Amino acid sequence: MNTATVRSTGARVIPAPVARAALVAALIAVWQVAPTIGLVDPRLLPPPSVVGPMIVHLFGESGFQGHLATTLLETVIAFLVSVPVGFILAILIGENKYASDIFKPLVFFVFSIPKSIFLPLFIFAFGISFHQKVAFGVFSTLFIVMMLSFAAIESVRRDHLVVARSYGATRMQTVLRVYLPGMTPVLLEAIRVSMIFNFTGILLAEMYASREGLGNVIEQWGQGFQLDRLMATIVVIAAIAIVFNETIRALESRCEHWRE
Amino acid sequence: MGLKAVVNSPSPAASTDESGAVEVTNVGHVYETASGTTEALTDISFRVETGRFVSIVGPSGCGKSSLLMMIAGLVQPTRGTIIAGGRPLVQPDPTRIGVVFQDASLYPWLTARSNVEFPLSLRHVDRKIRRERAEAALELVGLAGFADKHPHELSGGMKQRVALARGLVQDPPILLMDEPFAALDEQTRLTMGDEVLRIWERTRKTIIFVTHGLSEAIHLSDEVLVLTSRPGKLVDRVAVDLPRPRSFEVMGGRRFEELRERIWQRIRS
Repeated sequence: MNTATVRSTGARVIPAPVARAALVAALIAVWQVAPTIGLVDPRLLPPPSVVGPMIVHLFGESGFQGHLATTLLETVIAFLVSVPVGFILAILIGENKYASDIFKPLVFFVFSIPKSIFLPLFIFAFGISFHQKVAFGVFSTLFIVMMLSFAAIESVRRDHLVVARSYGATRMQTVLRVYLPGMTPVLLEAIRVSMIFNFTGILLAEMYASREGLGNVIEQWGQGFQLDRLMATIVVIAAIAIVFNETIRALESRCEHWRE
Repeated sequence: MGLKAVVNSPSPAASTDESGAVEVTNVGHVYETASGTTEALTDISFRVETGRFVSIVGPSGCGKSSLLMMIAGLVQPTRGTIIAGGRPLVQPDPTRIGVVFQDASLYPWLTARSNVEFPLSLRHVDRKIRRERAEAALELVGLAGFADKHPHELSGGMKQRVALARGLVQDPPILLMDEPFAALDEQTRLTMGDEVLRIWERTRKTIIFVTHGLSEAIHLSDEVLVLTSRPGKLVDRVAVDLPRPRSFEVMGGRRFEELRERIWQRIRS
């Protein structure tokens, strides 16, 4: 908008959304043309004209449906556990100065460790199972949820709390009417970013050792050189991730002015 | 105590109406810091009669805002007592005291109307009554047409009007204002000052107004309380004997300058 007056106006002849769509279309065109004219081996890079129908085909396969259902179920359960648990832990820690001093540095320490190195331990603990995937998903997500929840709690403005107190709000009213709406923008961001960690954790656990799930088929089809199936699965996973992320982002932008 | 003589000097019109009276007696405030205890306010005593407009001025850090927060019941004094509306105040009581803060501190997720309704909704006042009273309060501050706007759609002055409406919506006899116009530009500040006077003349509430603007304090008040800092101490009570309404002419006159000079000297001493 007003950045146009600062930056060169020449670059603004084409509206940004149109330019963005054109860029994506161009990339898909290159992906189509390069293997077709023999610039890359079509066995290494199957073009969209092959991958597109394969996606449709996969959705019709009961085996793929099962893998998709398994991964989605693991992801949803891990998410429904890690987000509330992480949030509540963050509130319990964040509300108390003493608990903050003890636990916050520890949460930061654990957060900084790459979670993938613990995968073998999760197999020892849970076996190669549905539970193990969910447990690893929760473990991958919990600490980012806690860190972002700390930020969400701190984003609530002090003066908003003082106003509530001056008008006689009870503790419960303060939580429901001031804390929750006050931290909603940051909390939505926390949910969005947590899902990225969560989904990554589940897929990683499936790719490392599993009998089913989208991570499992990606690993299998990669090893088995079935690149049409591999690419189709990648597109499906990418689409799921993008749709979730964009849905939350749309909610975020609706309450953007809350941060003022 | 030497202070007594000073405190009694302006001889406010004696009143028996306690509903809007504020009585501060020997109030002191001490708080702990890393380097020990700091005395923020010491031995503050004064009485404000019902319906009076009193300003508190002083250098930054003199504890004038803390003092106001104590009268609001938001901060407990370390020593002394505060009586508001005839009863001691141990916690915030919005039916006795409305507060308008320096930043409008409106909730950005609520409309202007819902922000004004907020104090009523905390007390589960019926939705219809809530709405009527919020609209009446918005009309009083001149924002009748803006009830459905969110704070980010309002200017700084309009936000403070909403905050003022929120402070007035429960019709408390006492209104406390903590540097309410400090963040506004000069022109808006003058307009808002007139606005507050208009509302005060209509509602006859007791208003205690904290500001660092000496002219603003004289322009608005019946009386100006002067605090000095470290520790915050009440050093003077200046009765403003200028006729109302106070036109630009009065504000530029000799008596105004004398009052301003006196307050300035007291702050510096």
